[in-house]
Amino acid sequence: MSNTLNVNDHLYEFHSPAGTTLAETLRDELALTGTKVACAEGHCGACTVLVDGSPTLACITLAHSVGDAKVTTIEGLREHPMVESFVRSDALQCGFCTPGQIVSAVALVEAKAVPTRDEIRHAMAGNLCRCGAYPKIEEAIRTWQD
Amino acid sequence: MELRQASSATELDGATPVHGGTEVVPLLRAGLLSADTLIDIRPIVPRGISRERIGAGATLAELECDPQVPAALREACRLAASPQLRNMGSLAGNLLQATRCWYWRLNWPCRLHGGDECFAQEGEHREHAIVANDFCASGHPSDVAATLVALDAVLHTSTRTLPVAELYRLPTEDNRATTTLEPGELILEVEVPPCDASVYLKAMDRKRWAFPLVGVAAARSGDSTRIALAGVAPVPWLLDGELDDATPLPGNAYKVELAQALVRRAKTALASA
Amino acid sequence: MARLIRTEKEVEGRYEEVWLVVEEDALQQWPAGARSIVGQPAVRVDGLERARGEAIFTADLRLNGMLHTAVLRSPHAAATVGRIDLTPALALPGVHVALGPGDIPQLEDDCNYEGVAVAAVCADTLAQARAALAAVEIEWTVREPLLDADEAVRRGQYVNDGPRVRERGDFERGLAEADVVVTGEFTTAVVLHNSMETHQAVVQWVGDAVEVHISTQYIWGVRDTVASGLGLPPDKVRVICHYMGGGFGSKNEPDDYTFIAAELAKRTGRPVKCALTRREENVNSGNRNATIQRLTIGAKSDGTLTALGGDFLNAVGWSGWSSSTEGPMQMLYACANVKTTTYGAKINQPPMKAFRAPGFVEGTFGLESLLDELASKLDLDPMELRRRNYADHDAADARPFSSKRLMECYRRAEPHWERRHEVRARSTDTVKRGVGMASQIWYGGGGPPSYAWIRVGSDGRVTVVTAMQDIGTGTKTAMAQIAAEELGIPFEHVTVSIGDSARGPYAAISAGSSTTPSMGPAVRAAAADAKRQILEIAAQRHHLEERVLDLKDGNVVSADGNLSSPLSEVVGLLEDAQILGKGARGPNPTGMQVLTFGVQVAEVAVDVETGEVWVDRIAAVHDVGRVINPLGASSQIEGGIIQGVGHTLSEERLHDPKTGRILTSGLDAYRLPTIADVPEIISELVDEPDEHLTNLGSKGLGEPPIIPTAAAIANAIRDATGADVRSLPISRAEMLRALREAELRAKEREKVGAPAGV
Repeated sequence: MSNTLNVNDHLYEFHSPAGTTLAETLRDELALTGTKVACAEGHCGACTVLVDGSPTLACITLAHSVGDAKVTTIEGLREHPMVESFVRSDALQCGFCTPGQIVSAVALVEAKAVPTRDEIRHAMAGNLCRCGAYPKIEEAIRTWQD
Repeated sequence: MELRQASSATELDGATPVHGGTEVVPLLRAGLLSADTLIDIRPIVPRGISRERIGAGATLAELECDPQVPAALREACRLAASPQLRNMGSLAGNLLQATRCWYWRLNWPCRLHGGDECFAQEGEHREHAIVANDFCASGHPSDVAATLVALDAVLHTSTRTLPVAELYRLPTEDNRATTTLEPGELILEVEVPPCDASVYLKAMDRKRWAFPLVGVAAARSGDSTRIALAGVAPVPWLLDGELDDATPLPGNAYKVELAQALVRRAKTALASA
Repeated sequence: MARLIRTEKEVEGRYEEVWLVVEEDALQQWPAGARSIVGQPAVRVDGLERARGEAIFTADLRLNGMLHTAVLRSPHAAATVGRIDLTPALALPGVHVALGPGDIPQLEDDCNYEGVAVAAVCADTLAQARAALAAVEIEWTVREPLLDADEAVRRGQYVNDGPRVRERGDFERGLAEADVVVTGEFTTAVVLHNSMETHQAVVQWVGDAVEVHISTQYIWGVRDTVASGLGLPPDKVRVICHYMGGGFGSKNEPDDYTFIAAELAKRTGRPVKCALTRREENVNSGNRNATIQRLTIGAKSDGTLTALGGDFLNAVGWSGWSSSTEGPMQMLYACANVKTTTYGAKINQPPMKAFRAPGFVEGTFGLESLLDELASKLDLDPMELRRRNYADHDAADARPFSSKRLMECYRRAEPHWERRHEVRARSTDTVKRGVGMASQIWYGGGGPPSYAWIRVGSDGRVTVVTAMQDIGTGTKTAMAQIAAEELGIPFEHVTVSIGDSARGPYAAISAGSSTTPSMGPAVRAAAADAKRQILEIAAQRHHLEERVLDLKDGNVVSADGNLSSPLSEVVGLLEDAQILGKGARGPNPTGMQVLTFGVQVAEVAVDVETGEVWVDRIAAVHDVGRVINPLGASSQIEGGIIQGVGHTLSEERLHDPKTGRILTSGLDAYRLPTIADVPEIISELVDEPDEHLTNLGSKGLGEPPIIPTAAAIANAIRDATGADVRSLPISRAEMLRALREAELRAKEREKVGAPAGV
């Protein structure tokens, strides 16, 4: 299977053995450590990246199965207004889950620029934040265009 | 380990099929599943959605918002798992997911793993089965499976056609499997017969992103109503009667009350639909 | 002048007598109220690098040649290693070194809880290390574990010397004087910190010194513990933590993984990383232990408390400490007769660690729930009952409070409390609604020592240097605000350099709600020292007396208004010279009890058929003295409440009742709140400086908000349904049990014709 990855519009060749996850490849081989791993079992959302625009858990995605799909990590979203909105709203505390939160949030607003409270809560429920920045994450997503 | 891409449903060759990977990858990494070869079946599993037929490769996220899909199935998908898992996980993969029983997930040598004890029965079992739990007390976690059983859906696999209820079997001393899927057999499509009204109600420990303590799916066609439950038995449970004959364990009797309340509500909802 | 004193030091509710060298704190507090920078909302100074994924956490470190570690941990709650053979592991590809029991003290063969480290392997990749670990041959002799905390107490098996009895007045006499007595048994579950970044360290040796990169709440504590563990002078240990992904009390010490990495690094001559997996994290990185609380309250018919008593059982685990679960009962209310006995049961379970207000979260749930049962019996407004028993000094030891504005908190909570009539009226046949409240008391005064340096360059920009850590609470931002305020310069002109024991002076632990109250005054003192020096130079430059000069909005200004000259103009004269200020945290007020207070009001809905609970709204009013950053403070309150909601409704670590093995080590089974579980949160701070406490009058806010949440929710549930929930978490099972019990009680009452509410 494919041993190239299209990440943030760069084509990378990688050498991790089959069975390696996308998160491991991004972090360990491509040194893109913005994508965090907090549970490594697909339960917490810290590793969320976009695969063809769709929020995906990199910790349980096999790197070799990604193929031609376009992977977008937090490194590819650094200039997105959502980042600034998170900072402005104080939507982070320790910041470890934050890149994953922002990736999910970007996908949400790309689908609907002004989501409702319920839509935010539905779309963001897979990104756990132990510090409890949730109210301000909600605010950051509501006000990202300000 | 090797990973290759499938080109035809007849060439699985003892490899472990993987689609969204949301179950297979964690099981591999936890050592609950071993495979020398994984085969990516995405190229050969249909994923289109129409009023009567759903490709087995459709993701839960796609089903969640497709108006052609019956209301109960949309709701079951909407309340299942997390957004990312719904983006990744396929309909058939969801049907084939293993129990969340913590003993099984921690690889205790339980009956489902071929051992001779169900540790949950005398251990922690608050989330476990309240019916058909004498051999194995695991609860079936699929919201979607219970809903398809209530909808009386039919599966088209690479080798046969069967009602979705027949995909499942209670594990026994001689055969510990919980599905009837044969090695190399792939679920390709799901046929959902039309119904007049359907509903899915779910009780869980969080407002989102939790497996069902109890899920109740109900579908009405004319005068006939089918009700199926998630989380109450080792397989999706087609309800026959009122759960009066439930056999809860000491720590999960509350689930009977909970299930009865949700069944009442589901019936009321169907009656007024 | 430095002064040597013998004083009591409090951390997380535990006291010890220590010698302290303190420096007098000559600065006057600023007048109450928001200032131009302090008291204004500030966006966190390190927000952007965290949000952009640029911040390098310990988990992200990739040092040249770094090796990875896998640790073999006991799968049994009580067992001894019979035989262990590491050689098969050593034969596998990529493996460098394997360690076994006895190689270092942290690897043991006698295991008294699941998760004890037994052996460790390091390899080029983590996958190789894990594969090698699986090849280790090991045989166990498994023993019957002791898991029942009551049984441990019966056997006299404690983690400490024995039960802690605290008594004032005469509890029995108080009971005899009571018109009404209520009793109840409350239980709380084991809950897990679940910091998103797991416990981990990367260790490398540089010459005869060791460098420890670690996700920690206490750089200096790690330095000292590692130094003594490795037999090194503390200055040969450099501890680095620039960013860390959450701790909540669980990362105060270096723990086994740091020593494992240190030994492997020594043997391989390479940097070695040892990181816990999520499963390891949730078995053996600490927990809030379970409690059983058997409580009695006696009161006069007007609500005056005559007796408070309780047996508090902490199911501590194999080691750790017996938290002050009795603290709220001892401290929260004026009552002459109080007797508490606290047991620290030693059982075959992983050790507890401090978790955000240890003991007080659990004890407040019991006390404040039972107090509402009393209010219901007396037909008294719960808020009024609390006001009638208001403590105006520390009842436990007669000391005055340095400040206490709980009455003001109650006053400000009134509008939220008044909503209960309207909330209840929205109930339906199946969904009952109600409102509940609970009070909060806790420490949070911080203390010496803590130091900061300030560096002013010729461009007029300022760097605060101190070797503290920011665990996500935003203390780095608060320090920048304090320095900018004191120096009269724009917030953006301050940089804060933290996170490295080799680059800055000692800084306090980030635990016990103490970072801001400990560090803040030191930073202000350092800024004041720098300011004094700037004004000395300005006085000479402008031929004016120092006493008429001040710094304001980035300018040197004179009292008569004739001079307003940019700061850069004066410090520009420095060229390569720098102004260096230094500051130290002064002593705490002598003979006073420094505490934090608050109240929360919760609104809930309960589905009486399914036991589902919705927490719709929580209003929180806390008194923590002066607020430095209202934006960050509101985040702290929200975070505390949300963890509280998790503890109250969905979080519970379960173990197998026979073997004692942990069952909910994954985040599928251990249920942290999601964004969908979060209530509307309204937060308010009294924001009055504590006039006796330091040059700031600020206390800590990390812990107070989590303390009253569970009781407020439980009381709201009682208000909505009449059901007495007694057990955390309030699962469907517990909610349905309490509802059915309340129904039975109501039926009994109908039979005997007793009036409602009695």
